[in-house]
Amino acid sequence: MQLTIITDLNKCVGCKSCQVSCKEHNTSGAFGPVPDNAPYQDPDGMWWNRIVTMESGEFPNTSVMYLPKACMHCYDAPCVPVCPTGASYKRDDNGVVLIDYDTCIGCQLCMWACPYGVREFDEEEGVVKKCTLCIDRLEDESLPDHDRQPACVQSCPTHARTFGDLDDPTSEVSRLVQERQGFGLLPELGARPSVHYLPRRPAPSPVDRETLDEALKERY
Amino acid sequence: MRPAPQLIVLTIGQGLAGGLAVAFAALWSIHPTSATVADTLVLMALAAAGIGGIASVFHMHHMQAARYILRRLKTSWLSREALTTAWFGGALAVLAVWTLFIPEKGTGYLVWLWLTVALGLLAMWVTAMLYATIPAVLSWHTPVTVLSLLSVGLLSGGAAAGIAAPFDAPPYQVFVVALMVLAVWTLLVKGLHWRHFHEAHGRLRAETGTGLPFAPYRLQDTGTTKPPYRTQTQVAPIIPDHMRHTATATVVVLMVLAPVLFLILTLTAHVRAWSIIAAIAVLVGAVAERWLFFADATHSSRVFFVDESRHPARVGTVQTAARRAVKRTQPPTVSQ
Ligand code: SF4
Ligand code: SF4
Ligand code: SF4
Repeated sequence: MQLTIITDLNKCVGCKSCQVSCKEHNTSGAFGPVPDNAPYQDPDGMWWNRIVTMESGEFPNTSVMYLPKACMHCYDAPCVPVCPTGASYKRDDNGVVLIDYDTCIGCQLCMWACPYGVREFDEEEGVVKKCTLCIDRLEDESLPDHDRQPACVQSCPTHARTFGDLDDPTSEVSRLVQERQGFGLLPELGARPSVHYLPRRPAPSPVDRETLDEALKERY
Repeated sequence: MRPAPQLIVLTIGQGLAGGLAVAFAALWSIHPTSATVADTLVLMALAAAGIGGIASVFHMHHMQAARYILRRLKTSWLSREALTTAWFGGALAVLAVWTLFIPEKGTGYLVWLWLTVALGLLAMWVTAMLYATIPAVLSWHTPVTVLSLLSVGLLSGGAAAGIAAPFDAPPYQVFVVALMVLAVWTLLVKGLHWRHFHEAHGRLRAETGTGLPFAPYRLQDTGTTKPPYRTQTQVAPIIPDHMRHTATATVVVLMVLAPVLFLILTLTAHVRAWSIIAAIAVLVGAVAERWLFFADATHSSRVFFVDESRHPARVGTVQTAARRAVKRTQPPTVSQ
């Protein structure tokens, strides 16, 4: 089993709801806090899910895309073998990559090894932290079924994120990846991320005002 | 990447200790040195290893977990580094006791000396492999990284040994010439390494990083009010060109050119001050080299955090130009 999240880049509107709900849930949950530095002066701090905004194309034919970026729960997670203490590990039963804060020495080698920059160093506790795929929610049997999914998936207002088992060919996430050519980031680095993104459909080709006016005149 | 001072001290200290051990073993094997020289060289190596060891403690930010560090010897180069560096430190400590307090220095001593050297080289190699085997740090992921760390370590240790090495004994000239050859070799290796660093800058591909349908790409927002430079040490703003050039020039001049000149002066004038200056120059050059090694390293995740300066956002440019135009057309404000 490989639990994962698929994000449809056509649906994500960059509202950062998942970013905020991740911080909210995890700060108050079993794996928190996700710390802040100087929150009331010059705010800076740790986020396990960051929404990167990219602009592409040449002006004036540009488009903007939002890329929610958290741990990819890689199949060949390079952060795991480098860890000297075994604090970073990948669970055999569901493929989630986790960190045991009690055995982490804070050497940050895993931060170098992770190609995606999703691990963050907690200066206060001296350990590295990252997205847990909300494992505390997934495994909390006291929660109702609809709550046993990651906070970021649940809070997405456009339903851009889908959670499921990528190793199950009948699951919704497998279907989306197969049918919509889901892709992983930085494939050349060999981490085989389980988190996939559904690519943007090409933007319609731009039409200038004169061509549009002419077309409208011809037609009506 | 943000350079961590403790890692600079740790890697330089380990290289220096290994290099000193090699230099001392070479000198001793050709012709046993006086007790004073042997004591000085071994104590210098031990001090360098000790300083490196202390620095490594500061790199562990959660000491309570330090006891687990050898758990992943099978896969983690850091576990292996901790083990091999401890072996080297232990062997060096025994060597120091033997050198200082036991007058008998026969074959057994020579064997132990070379065993210490072997452990020193092993520790240096393992440390270098730690850096060279991380594909995400594009600049380091090359065998040249191993050559570079080994060469700089041997050169700095050799130069430091020159401070105490005897002038009058015949191996000294061979030693100095070997050191000069090593300096030139190190320059070649560093040249290759820097070329790899330069290529790594260019290899960062936003296309595969984002999956956007058409290039070029610009990063508009890293998700929060600030890029995560504080919590993610593997990315940091790219160092400006002038800084890179100054550091590179410092390495070339202090770690290679100046020492070669000073070593020639030592050979011809037989004045020990020159060899001391050469050793200091190499050490300062090695610090600059190691700083550049960390500060200029390109991590793959930089693609998500730093704008690509080659393609500045035209939207931003147009807006700025428009704002400037608006400013120009506004009448100047008159103070009351
Ligand atoms: S995204 Fe990074 S932290 Fe997450 S599993 Fe992959 S390598 Fe590890
Ligand atoms: S920082 Fe912690 S989790 Fe990461 S490699 Fe070091 S010990 Fe392992
Ligand atoms: S799965 Fe949970 S921890 Fe991971 S990004 Fe989503 S909310 Fe955050």
